[in-house]
Amino acid sequence: MIRNVSKLLRRKKEKKRLDQREAKPQEKLHANFDQNVETFRSIYTNCSDVLFRSFLLFGKTRAMIIHIEGLSDVKGLEDYVLSPLMKETADTPQSFNEFLENKLSVSKVEKVHLLADCIESISSGNPILLCEGEETALSLGLAKWEKRSIEEPQAESSIRGPREGFIESLGVNTSLLRRIIKSPALKIQPMKIGEYTKTNVAVAYIEGLADPTLIKEVNNRLQRIEIDAVLESDYIEELVEDNPYSPFPQILSTERPDVACANLLEGRVVILVEGTPFVLIAPISFFSLMQVQEDYYQRFVISTFVRWLRYLFLGVALLLPSVYVAVATFHQEMVPTTLLLSIAAARETVPFPALVEVLIMEVAFEALREAGVRLPRQIGSAISIVGALVIGQAAVQAGLVSAPMVIVVAITGIASFMLPRYITGMSIRILRFPLIFLGGTLGLLGVVMGVIAIVIHLCTLRSLGEPYLAPLAPLKKKELKDMLWRAPWWMMNTRPHFTGESNAYRQSPHQVPNPEGDKGKRQGRR
Amino acid sequence: MKEVKISSLQLSMMMYPTILATAILTVPSVTAKFAAHDLWMSPILASFMGGVAVFIAVQLHKLYPEQTIIEYSENIIGRIPGKIIGFFVLIFYLEMTGEIARSYSEFIVSSFLFKTPIMVIIALMLLVCAFAVYGGLETMARAAQLFFPAFFVPLIILIILLSPDFKFENVFPVLEEGIVPPAKGAVVLSGWFAEFFLIAFFLPFLSDRKKAMKQGIINVVAVMITLTLVNLTVLFVLGVSTASKTYPLMNAGRYISWANFFENLDAVIMAVWILGAFVKLTVFYFAVVLGTAQWLNLSDYRPIVWPVGILIAEFSFWGIPNMMVFARDEDQSFPFYSILIQVLFPLLLLMIAMIRRRKGENRAVNE
Repeated sequence: MIRNVSKLLRRKKEKKRLDQREAKPQEKLHANFDQNVETFRSIYTNCSDVLFRSFLLFGKTRAMIIHIEGLSDVKGLEDYVLSPLMKETADTPQSFNEFLENKLSVSKVEKVHLLADCIESISSGNPILLCEGEETALSLGLAKWEKRSIEEPQAESSIRGPREGFIESLGVNTSLLRRIIKSPALKIQPMKIGEYTKTNVAVAYIEGLADPTLIKEVNNRLQRIEIDAVLESDYIEELVEDNPYSPFPQILSTERPDVACANLLEGRVVILVEGTPFVLIAPISFFSLMQVQEDYYQRFVISTFVRWLRYLFLGVALLLPSVYVAVATFHQEMVPTTLLLSIAAARETVPFPALVEVLIMEVAFEALREAGVRLPRQIGSAISIVGALVIGQAAVQAGLVSAPMVIVVAITGIASFMLPRYITGMSIRILRFPLIFLGGTLGLLGVVMGVIAIVIHLCTLRSLGEPYLAPLAPLKKKELKDMLWRAPWWMMNTRPHFTGESNAYRQSPHQVPNPEGDKGKRQGRR
Repeated sequence: MKEVKISSLQLSMMMYPTILATAILTVPSVTAKFAAHDLWMSPILASFMGGVAVFIAVQLHKLYPEQTIIEYSENIIGRIPGKIIGFFVLIFYLEMTGEIARSYSEFIVSSFLFKTPIMVIIALMLLVCAFAVYGGLETMARAAQLFFPAFFVPLIILIILLSPDFKFENVFPVLEEGIVPPAKGAVVLSGWFAEFFLIAFFLPFLSDRKKAMKQGIINVVAVMITLTLVNLTVLFVLGVSTASKTYPLMNAGRYISWANFFENLDAVIMAVWILGAFVKLTVFYFAVVLGTAQWLNLSDYRPIVWPVGILIAEFSFWGIPNMMVFARDEDQSFPFYSILIQVLFPLLLLMIAMIRRRKGENRAVNE
């Protein structure tokens, strides 16, 4: 009932969006040259960056090129468009546009009939060529603007593995994918989102690996978006999530083409957004947040060990402060006597109860971390000195906090940084606070209750319809090979289940390297 | 509502803690009262009742694959009598859920949080359970699946850590007074094993229905083995004094001292037991909520999750004035009540359904 009432209220509040479109979508170009020019000039009033260059085509026909400064290759425009067209003096041929196409030494030329398409072409950097007496314009593929070069990804560095990262340009990003996956089965569907930004968004998937219903679902959800602007992929992430209120990320973001490709090859969908190096990967499970590209680039024994270390520290990051508070407040008998004595001695001078003490320290630590992230790098080191000296040393010496508490907070901090994705660490760090409260009020009982609540929440979560705790609950025995441990590559024969049953195998089995056996075989053959 | 699917393995992982959560704590002392040092035999005898309950539930499920007991009791014996049977079943489960919540909270209050009001603990637990029930059967099944190792492994570790304190001679003399004392203990225990009938509420949601019977029996055997092990452990450690303890496994747990570091692990037992009690409560809670929704012909059970939760919290006080009454109830009336509702009623329904079906077949042949 409450839902119905709120729905009614919402309906009242809903405002009609003002239609801000510059041109009606179906409006066509006019046959009259002057009228066309006038339309464009009125659309681009007070746009000093839009350049109108009029000239005489072949010395007699009036023509005009419209482009935006800095978005188009001016040199190319001069050399391959203006100079041949202005110098040439030929008789008017049979088909005007066809002739132009033959004369223009530009690789990508498109005929455009609609006004809206012209504007889109201009704003994406492709100059528009209008001619007198023609109802069609030509969109010249001369877009070229300044962009960052491909660099090592800042947020996801690795010791071994490719060092290329995505950049802000969508075209470069798709080319990075294509360079890794050369098969034409890699499909990239373009899309525009954002009323004002008209941001290019591309949905990449591998045909035959990705579930067709999944692609449909992704497209549906993307097409539903009606928003002014998409400045970062997080806009899209928040608008397509299954559970928008959850603290856990249900869509993975990465800067690394190799990670994106690995996920494409497991049947997932990658959403690339113009203007940000972070691409989105869906559907994911909780355990994808615990995996790093390097797990697959080093020996599986080491990867398995590191992965388990991560699981362990996930527990530490979530539970250590609350368990410490619970034990120190309610269950002192659990602690071995000698340890209890040293903790008690340290806590003797502390004026606060353990709950307050841990909250002070945790909040201080969070503040330090946030300050360190935002500050320029030169000042960043000052923060760590202040943090280490003031909070670590002085607070303990002044008797404000106990030394064991500093250790607990420090270990928790390290543990939360151990989680490979920054965003996962954040959600765990946020959940730590309610758990600390529960531990300080109800002891271990409260902590267990909190954990049960979190697990229930994780069990209800879905990422684009896939259960969030997928290989573990519901149990998929075959996929545990990439969750409980990182199986060696010669054992990773089957794909994850959402790839569909039709294409279950990713490699031929029995590829265990066995030189002795090979030798035997070879000798046998001889 | 019916599109939700769980696997039979998930069902087993839900039912195992459901039976054991309360059983591992109180059963040793309850059985020891009757069976003394033969208490370990009682689970073996009592598991028969579990088998019967599973058998009846599965047979009824085969006759009415898409329905729970609340729905098919109406089909079998008519609308009004069916509603009456359904009412009794629902009241039984409601009262049981309240009792479980109460006994769980009494355990917490008497062992750990001495000053906390009992209502706080009951309310907190029921709140968490309501979240799970509200999340749906799939959520419950997944949570149970995740908690299963967290419930099972510490139990095994506890038994292993206790092994240095074992006095194996406690088990003798075997069957000093014949089979009657363990059989009496088994009657009490049958009340717990009869709870296996709860699968009747979950069978319609099963994705692999053919495995239901097999998994059910495996489940009964697993519970039987675990209970026998727990009873034996308690017997080996505490001896005949088991009967005088309220929570013998807890008392046994206090004996653990390993490497001078792992001491006083009772808080761990508590944590484990909370997980078990959580699964048990959600299973009962879900049965009550689903049954009530079906009894009232509601299309969705979600709107009544919270009201039923409040009712359960109230039943945890209405049903039990104090723990003395509860202890007596557990020995003397619970087994019979439990068997009546969960075995005899369904057995009656099954027999009537079989007879009616045979008649119907005969009629079909005659026509």
